[in-house]
Amino acid sequence: MALLPLIIWLIEDLLYVIVFPGLVVIMIIVIFLIYLERKIAAKVQMRFGPLWVSKKIGGALQSIADLMRFSFQEFILPNGSDSLAFLMAPGLMFSFALLPLIFIPVGPYYTSLFPSGLTILFSIALITITPIYAIIVGWSSDNKFSFIGSLREAFLLISYEIPLLLSVVAMIIIYKTLDYLPAVAFQEVHSLPGIIINPIAALVFIIVAIRSTGRFPFDITEADSELVMGLFTEYSALFFGIGMATPYIELYIMSLIFSLLFLGGWWPISSHSAGLIGGLFLPGVAVIMKAFIVMAILVFLRSVYPRYRLDQAVRSGWDKIIYLSIIAVLVSIVEAIVI
Amino acid sequence: MSNKKRKTRGVIEGHTKALATGFRYLVEPNRMTLDYPAETIKLPSNYRGFFTVDDKKCIGCSMCEMVCPPEAITMVPRVVSSGGNTVPADQETSTGAKPAKKTKRPVVNWGRCIFCYFCFDICPVDAFISSPVHDLSFYDDADYRPTYEKYLKLPEEPYKDSKKVTSKPDLKRGIKYEPAP
Repeated sequence: MALLPLIIWLIEDLLYVIVFPGLVVIMIIVIFLIYLERKIAAKVQMRFGPLWVSKKIGGALQSIADLMRFSFQEFILPNGSDSLAFLMAPGLMFSFALLPLIFIPVGPYYTSLFPSGLTILFSIALITITPIYAIIVGWSSDNKFSFIGSLREAFLLISYEIPLLLSVVAMIIIYKTLDYLPAVAFQEVHSLPGIIINPIAALVFIIVAIRSTGRFPFDITEADSELVMGLFTEYSALFFGIGMATPYIELYIMSLIFSLLFLGGWWPISSHSAGLIGGLFLPGVAVIMKAFIVMAILVFLRSVYPRYRLDQAVRSGWDKIIYLSIIAVLVSIVEAIVI
Repeated sequence: MSNKKRKTRGVIEGHTKALATGFRYLVEPNRMTLDYPAETIKLPSNYRGFFTVDDKKCIGCSMCEMVCPPEAITMVPRVVSSGGNTVPADQETSTGAKPAKKTKRPVVNWGRCIFCYFCFDICPVDAFISSPVHDLSFYDDADYRPTYEKYLKLPEEPYKDSKKVTSKPDLKRGIKYEPAP
């Protein structure tokens, strides 16, 4: 009868990945976030934004209408494309964008689901895989816009990966762990969120999060005025929908990591609470709410900033952000010695 | 060194200012958009919209056809009937001994027309009639090339029940919409 706990464990794992905080929650958040992004940008730019799909509730069903449109659209396979890569890459990109979620605990109950002591390391490692599929997407479409978009992605990837790792390393030095749970516990014990402990690392992480999810002012890979739709120029139907949703999922993952490392994780709720509700659901709600606020702030940048040129973005990556991240590491070393 | 410092400060100041301005607009939205199908701007009667021709005034001189830049106007052969109106040339209704007077009338291809109103300017007898109807499209390709009889009727204004407003320049908001008198 040792089988029963195993089955329960498996079901709980599946629920973790598929329902909370996995696919279903991501789906709801992405749909609402796209609507919010359009509304915020419209408000700042003196427009109405989506409105006529459901006028009484301010056009809130616009994203769902878009989803339905993507679902029933005809899919076109371009003649010159590398069809296998063309068909596989968006799905793989989507899955690998989703995969870091397994290594991101949203509550102390997580330890019993996926016992691992290296969650920070794994999640950051998995984040860096997604851009490789972005490059494959651009190459397989046999379209100059997609190809230029993927080249830009590669340039930016190289220039911003090191600051991302260094800003996380800076926090690892302070927390003295590679696991999220002790990191959150550290912030709880000292009652100091990471953003106050090392604001420079938080700034670098936010900038890199904006960069790696292709938000303004770094939406260079899919600059619509230059590259039509960038990587996803040749895509249509649900494949395009997946391509559009992937950056939002990356944004969600990045915001979760940010709220765990820098905003105290599930801070109002104790790390010692147990059970499925107290140990997973309530802390999860706290973490996701923090992540959502971070996402809303990042989405707000769209309405303020114009787009950087590729050379400006790459130069700022090698010239400024990397120095900032090294300073963040030095600050962390000093703080670790003092504390 | 001092120059570089000043530059760095300028960058930080610029980002802060930009974000603060964006946030101010987010909190106090200043919408200039006209909520279009629900509200429409009241247009003057001489607005350059869809137009037609006065069948009785027109003398069939073909000046409008000549001046039309996109060659949207074509002249169709007509015959003057006893009432002063015209009828198609193939339905000749000669009255009495007098032979029917042959003439021409303009028809506009709406798919080609650019609404420049050169035809209005050149018409020697001011036979064209303007209307403010401009927000109209056709579901059928054939509707873009009306017959003369169809062309004589001005198209109906869409969104008739919409709120009529007038736009006014405003120092604070840019453009302000007020209910039309």
